[in-house]
Amino acid sequence: MEPPPSPTEAISELSITSHPQSVSVSMSEMPGIKRNHDGAEKEKEVNSNASPFMPMFEAFRDELDEHHDRRERIIKASRDITAASKKMQVSSHSLPQAFKSPISNQLTPTSIFSLQRVRTLKSDIPAKIASETAERYAAMQKQFSAIAPDLTGINAWRYQRQISGGIQEYMEAVSFEHYLRHQALITISEAAGALQGGIELTGDDYVLGLFDLVGELMRFAITTMATTGSLPGGGGGSERRDILVDLRELRTCFQALDTGSCGGTGLGKDVEKKMEVMKTCVEKVESAVYGLIIRGRERPKGWVPGIADDRGVVESY
Amino acid sequence: MSNPSETGMVDPRIFEELQNKIDEDAEVREQIRAIVQTLERQGRGAQSVLSRAHSTPAAHLKPVLDAAEVAIKEEIASIKSLSDVASSSPYYKYNGLWTRDVQNVIFSILLCGWLGGMAHNNKAAEAGRLLTIEDVGEILNGTSIPTFQSLRLTILVPVNLKDRDAFHISIEEYLQSLITLIEELARLAVNSVTLGDYQRPLQISQFVKDIHAGFQILNLKNDSLRRRSDSIKYNVKKIEDIVYDLSLRNLVSKS
Repeated sequence: MEPPPSPTEAISELSITSHPQSVSVSMSEMPGIKRNHDGAEKEKEVNSNASPFMPMFEAFRDELDEHHDRRERIIKASRDITAASKKMQVSSHSLPQAFKSPISNQLTPTSIFSLQRVRTLKSDIPAKIASETAERYAAMQKQFSAIAPDLTGINAWRYQRQISGGIQEYMEAVSFEHYLRHQALITISEAAGALQGGIELTGDDYVLGLFDLVGELMRFAITTMATTGSLPGGGGGSERRDILVDLRELRTCFQALDTGSCGGTGLGKDVEKKMEVMKTCVEKVESAVYGLIIRGRERPKGWVPGIADDRGVVESY
Repeated sequence: MSNPSETGMVDPRIFEELQNKIDEDAEVREQIRAIVQTLERQGRGAQSVLSRAHSTPAAHLKPVLDAAEVAIKEEIASIKSLSDVASSSPYYKYNGLWTRDVQNVIFSILLCGWLGGMAHNNKAAEAGRLLTIEDVGEILNGTSIPTFQSLRLTILVPVNLKDRDAFHISIEEYLQSLITLIEELARLAVNSVTLGDYQRPLQISQFVKDIHAGFQILNLKNDSLRRRSDSIKYNVKKIEDIVYDLSLRNLVSKS
């Protein structure tokens, strides 16, 4: 019933690793002993070189290889999407200096760049910026389409952790553009529609993308204030909301969101971190507005704090 | 300030909807957790029964195996409830909640099968046998084991599912359980010697080496499977050392 290997064989294999003194004896004896066995035993010996489980493991290997390939493709796409977005920020050389001031860079390591050159809310985005943005969207969407087949069916959730970073980054861009155009928050179904090839937008990625949107709005608010001397959105009719009202509203909504039940999941952990960053962002805008009201009247239009020290000249005006 | 719910930037339904999603998720997780807790307790039960194999000579294993099969039967019932609850959600969404306990169940089945239990589907039980992932799936489906038919499981537990999204046993889970089996057999090799059974370590040695050879052809990435499979070689060595000790003292027959 049991097919024990010849003890000599066992010894010899052992000897190689831990008992070298017995190698010479057993190694030289082994082949002889094997051949001297009776028929049945001999057959076992012949097969003992190849594990009987090999075909099973070969099937597993193929499956796992496929899985790793998919996983790597997705990780790469997610990184490319994120990197593309960050590169845009670096290359935004034509932006007003205020962008590069430490205040606005600190809290938002990522930014959607050309859209940040927009200065007005609820109007069409200037053609030049719109076409640049469209190009970048196209690039990101190409990445998404490329991995869409890897993220269908049962695999939609399997690689959630790998793709989630890219989706959040994309969400940030889409929601920012939506805000610039409509001064409203994009809904989850509108946002899901912006994703290519049936890639699933989870509630978690949507919320986490929105947290990042706050950082983007802060940059937009502060830069616009610095260059135009007034808060975007406000002015005009007295009833119009300015961006600070919107930021505070967003903050209220985020704070009301009960994520206590998500403890161990990704959302629970990320929300905590992002909540703090989000609050700081809103407060930055609040104190900027405060500064505008207290000192704004004294300051020439377009003057940006800090520039004078760095450059020694006041640019632009 | 104007009332944000009417003229604000945020459509209030957005966050209502989000909160609903979060709450629904939490509820599903709660249901799954309750089952997993049961499964965890049953798992400990099954493993404590199976650990009696370490102090029971092979010839007297029958009662242990019978008791283990009863314990495993309870686990299978829990797997069925888990499958019912989990099937309404994407498999990989909550997979992390139960995978450890499912691995434990697979391990119990594998060990029981190796010891000579788990006859199923007209395949006779035989000591030293490796149940394949398909065997495990059949056993989890219940109907193929006569004594399990009382459960009347209608839902299938497929293995390595690719074409549709449902509860199943994954390759990774099976392989993880296989590593646990190797660890357990290394211990069994020591204890077999203590019980005066000098043949079983040889059988274990061959079996574990065969599985080790299988693991070596897998291209593992730096994941948990990789880290745990690194332990196999130490167990192989541990078992080889036992075989060496036995052979050195002429305690194993040469034929």
